[in-house]
Amino acid sequence: MKREKTAAVVSDINVTPMVDVMLVLLIIFMVITPMLSKGQTVEFAKAVNAIAMKEADAEDAILVAVTRDGALYLMPGNTRVGPEEIPAKVSDLLTGRLDKTVYVKSDARAKYQAVEEVVDYLRAAGVDQLGLLTESQAKKQGE
Amino acid sequence: MAMNVGGGSGPRADINVTPMIDVLLVLLIIFMVITPLTPYGLEALAPQPPKKNQPPPPPDDDRTVVIVIDGRGNYQLNQEPVAKENLGPRLQQIFATRAERVVFVKGDPDLEFQVVAYAIDVAHGAGIDKVGLMTPKIEAGE
Repeated sequence: MKREKTAAVVSDINVTPMVDVMLVLLIIFMVITPMLSKGQTVEFAKAVNAIAMKEADAEDAILVAVTRDGALYLMPGNTRVGPEEIPAKVSDLLTGRLDKTVYVKSDARAKYQAVEEVVDYLRAAGVDQLGLLTESQAKKQGE
Repeated sequence: MAMNVGGGSGPRADINVTPMIDVLLVLLIIFMVITPLTPYGLEALAPQPPKKNQPPPPPDDDRTVVIVIDGRGNYQLNQEPVAKENLGPRLQQIFATRAERVVFVKGDPDLEFQVVAYAIDVAHGAGIDKVGLMTPKIEAGE
């Protein structure tokens, strides 16, 4: 009676459904991730001493994105703006706010000239606190 | 012929962990995706011009520190050329005895933003809490 019967116990886990679920999730996140980052996607500069800026993610955060080719986008709204439109629009957005920080989301390889220009026009709107968004990079050993 | 004699519910003694693993993996992936979304950034200041009816602040040129980055990515502290890796230690040395830790960053317009971001990063790393951006209009006194 030592023969294997038809109802022999399968001792290993059937991983096929798990793999199915994993693959579906993988695909879902691959599709969703670019959409999650609101507004313009830029390649951030890397910084070791960057601090978390949760407010920059808020719905009403004022953010100017500078893309690699120097185009400017203003959040909220994600509308493309010319540099000279910034003072009027930003001071409109700033009225009645306590936190007058404006975030600048610049591509790492954008010309600094474009960033400088944005800073100049933001100054004209009365902004003096800037948050330059970067990617946080882990501290190297020995630093 | 089958050997299970203990009734219908006999052989399944272990918990089915597969759904639990599924849920855990989903949570793991969700958290992995959410974490890098917290934005990080460097604080910087854009100094406002002095008010018209106020006298300009007294100049103290010898105490103002400006990190100058030229078009080729060379760093200077005021007039003194500094190697990229010495920038942080040198700033720490300068500001070791000072209470007011302010530095200005002036970058060549042809540079990439990341070079300037690096300088600001190093300045923050050297314990300087106020980093001002020098722009052409600020220099022109507007």
